[in-house]
Amino acid sequence: MDHIDLAFSLDESMRPVNGRLLFDSAGVITVFLDGKPALALPAKDAKEARVLGSVGCALVFLTFEDAPDRVLARFDMSRLKAAGEWCKVVNHAIETGKPVFDDAIEPEVCEKCGKTLPEGMRVCPFCFSKAGLFKRAWALLRPFKREILISQTFMAMSSALYVSVPVLNRILIDNYLAPKLGTAAEIMLLAGFMFLARAIGETIYVLSARVYARAGTLFSNYLRDIAYAKIQKLSMAALGRRTPGELIRRVMEDTVTIKDFLTDYGRWMMETGLMFIVSMVILGVTNWRLALLVFAPVPIVGYALYRFRNMIQIRYERQWRKNSRAQSILHDIIKGIRTVKSFGAEDREIEKFARVSKDLAAVMTSNETMWALLFPAVTFFSGIGEFFVLYVGGRWILGGQLSLGVLVQFTMFLGYIYQPLRWLVSFPRVLADAMTSLVKMFEILDEEADIQETAMSKDAAVEGAVDYQSVSFGYKSYEPVLKEVGFTIEPGEMIGIVGKSGAGKSTLINLMLRLYDPNTGRITLGGDDLRSVSPRRLHERAGVVFQDTFLFAGTIYDNILYAKPDATPAEVIAACAAANAHEFIMKSADGYDTLIGESGFSLSGGERQRLAIARAIIKNPRLLILDEATSSLDLETESIIQDSLNNLTRKRTTIAIAHRLSTLRAANRLIVLDKGRIAEIGTHVELLRKKGIYYKLVMAQRQTSRTAEA
Amino acid sequence: MYATKSAETTDAAAPLLSDAIDLGYLDTAQAKFSMTPGGFLELDYKGVNYPRVAVRRSLPLAMPNEYLSLADPEGKEIAILRDLTSLDPGQRGLVEAELNRRYYCPNIIEVKSVKDQLGYVYFELTAQGSGPPSSRMCAVKDVNKNIRMLSDDDVIMFDVDGNRYRIPSLKALSAKSRKRLEPYLF
Repeated sequence: MDHIDLAFSLDESMRPVNGRLLFDSAGVITVFLDGKPALALPAKDAKEARVLGSVGCALVFLTFEDAPDRVLARFDMSRLKAAGEWCKVVNHAIETGKPVFDDAIEPEVCEKCGKTLPEGMRVCPFCFSKAGLFKRAWALLRPFKREILISQTFMAMSSALYVSVPVLNRILIDNYLAPKLGTAAEIMLLAGFMFLARAIGETIYVLSARVYARAGTLFSNYLRDIAYAKIQKLSMAALGRRTPGELIRRVMEDTVTIKDFLTDYGRWMMETGLMFIVSMVILGVTNWRLALLVFAPVPIVGYALYRFRNMIQIRYERQWRKNSRAQSILHDIIKGIRTVKSFGAEDREIEKFARVSKDLAAVMTSNETMWALLFPAVTFFSGIGEFFVLYVGGRWILGGQLSLGVLVQFTMFLGYIYQPLRWLVSFPRVLADAMTSLVKMFEILDEEADIQETAMSKDAAVEGAVDYQSVSFGYKSYEPVLKEVGFTIEPGEMIGIVGKSGAGKSTLINLMLRLYDPNTGRITLGGDDLRSVSPRRLHERAGVVFQDTFLFAGTIYDNILYAKPDATPAEVIAACAAANAHEFIMKSADGYDTLIGESGFSLSGGERQRLAIARAIIKNPRLLILDEATSSLDLETESIIQDSLNNLTRKRTTIAIAHRLSTLRAANRLIVLDKGRIAEIGTHVELLRKKGIYYKLVMAQRQTSRTAEA
Repeated sequence: MYATKSAETTDAAAPLLSDAIDLGYLDTAQAKFSMTPGGFLELDYKGVNYPRVAVRRSLPLAMPNEYLSLADPEGKEIAILRDLTSLDPGQRGLVEAELNRRYYCPNIIEVKSVKDQLGYVYFELTAQGSGPPSSRMCAVKDVNKNIRMLSDDDVIMFDVDGNRYRIPSLKALSAKSRKRLEPYLF
């Protein structure tokens, strides 16, 4: 490739335009409007190419050293990602003087139809093959082949016994009752056969259902396991594209939908399908003309139900939405009941809920009424065949063209034939739900780990120096968070990272932990490129405390042990003592056995942080990362913890982020980040003398604390 | 929902907060808007030149032309323009054009087809921003959240890319379009 193109769609008055922004190997940016060049300028004249996102639209513009900024192109949000890539290529050329076009990633498009894939989706919704999807789904059932086969065989046997009853009935009537030839013994025998067929059929049916239920439970368990295992292995980048709720839905709900479809519905489909076909064949063989009559309403009823389906679907969807809205209001208000009361807004809330609830009731009533009308109507119409058969069959009997037994047999079979039709009402919805769940499930299963743990991955040399070499990174490619960041941390150093919110401090640490890989540049640990280091080993050997500490439901002891499952009680207590947590733990009746987490003992923010610190230091790690780890602590507790941390291994490399600058007073050096770039590096004293950003931050904090004291 | 005057909920003795706190309303007499050759809105205000000014709506849906926040590229607020109509016509045109460039939300004038597929709803639309109407496809995820009824008649829709569409009046749509849209409104 020797150029990069960006199509854009809007002119400066936001009217549609066929525009193209071209950057070529000669380093020239050209704007084309409707195929004609409108502007050309060399990229080297500019300082930077940037994307500016607005509301529902965005633009690309150039900044210059000594000239005003200049808009190049405007477009709707669909081109945002591509614009980010375009700017990256141009900026690289501005910085290095050499255009490189290989790195540009086009947004993912469907290979077949060329449409851009929706964010986070790998399957094109327009081109995917339903057959392929279900083929894959059946493949998931493979481990349960034996159970399914057994169950299906039982089911076929029980169906065969069921259909034998009407046939026996016909024989009884035609051969023994109608001609009045049968003896009591013969009638008894046939009736006995019918009874046995029923009894054995039911028994086998129960067996089949039991085997199937077991297979179904095992299957959904298996699906949950594979989905959960895959999620655990995904990188932070892949996880970041999905909300926790979405992932939980994948594991808990989609697996059930898939299971229900493949086992319950699959079974139903086979059962009713088999009965339908067998019944039709027997009827056809017995009297094909009458069989045609039975079948006559089938297409009509089928079509009517298909039409009704849309209406039913819309109505139930609306009911579902109203219901979920009422629930979410309820959830919200009960969670915030303290706030409601403190504003004296109880009456307003009662009124609000009553309104939503009334709405829901109205929709539900209307839906129930419709069902109450529709269902008997459908049953009635699908039963019309019965009247036909009785009328025509009755006339044929009177005319001597048909025997009474055959007619009875026909009416008995009608149920088997019309049953599957009623089921058509819900089937399309179930099918659509199952397809959606399947695609989402396969999406998770197919997700390639962005950060691969290969056999080649090296152990993490956490005792070595950390070196950032012109690292750039953005969670979204068009929004770089870190830009060309470079610095070295010597082993044993304590480094403080400071900067305003959004300056990129936490991102710097996320890269250090290899939760993400840099877009460009590299990070080395003890001389090894972090990309070659096993993330698992790195996480095992480094200690980390985040600001939003997460403690699992369980005892305090279990939570500390999470970091080092083989730690002795002495180690656990020592870690808590060093984190200044021992004292408060011992105040509770159960000490280290106190249950914490959702249903347990509630801890204050500071207490949680101290436990998190204890958890991080129990391994006595050589590399300790503290991301606002002491922000919820008062100054006194913080300094006690700081001292005990300092007294542990002196050879530890520590990287700490803190808003409260006094936290970092022990740091050897401070790195000041500003808008993703390194603004200053130096010791506290050096940076104060420099009177730059750090100086301003320190002064501002002193001012605040002074005001607070006053 | 948006009161023009606060009523009995406030303690009569207490002054209104909006009187007690200076919101920094723009002194229109001292403000001069112009366009830079690069295509940005420029503001000269109280002796300071701001070469790139963003005009942000405080209440984009309810009061699109009132409480307009003027900010520099860092997002720092320069002043609040209380009401667009307080500017003289020439100046007002410049700010209106800037709002038009910042808030892009074409109106849906026809819904040609709707396809519900794999958790996404795909709309084939005719939509009109400034200029002639054009056809487009858009995908909406999570319809509950991304299709919002602003009133009984007014709808806003957000697609997966972050584009916005508005239906100012459902009644004005054709019966066919309305019927296609109906299942997704609530």
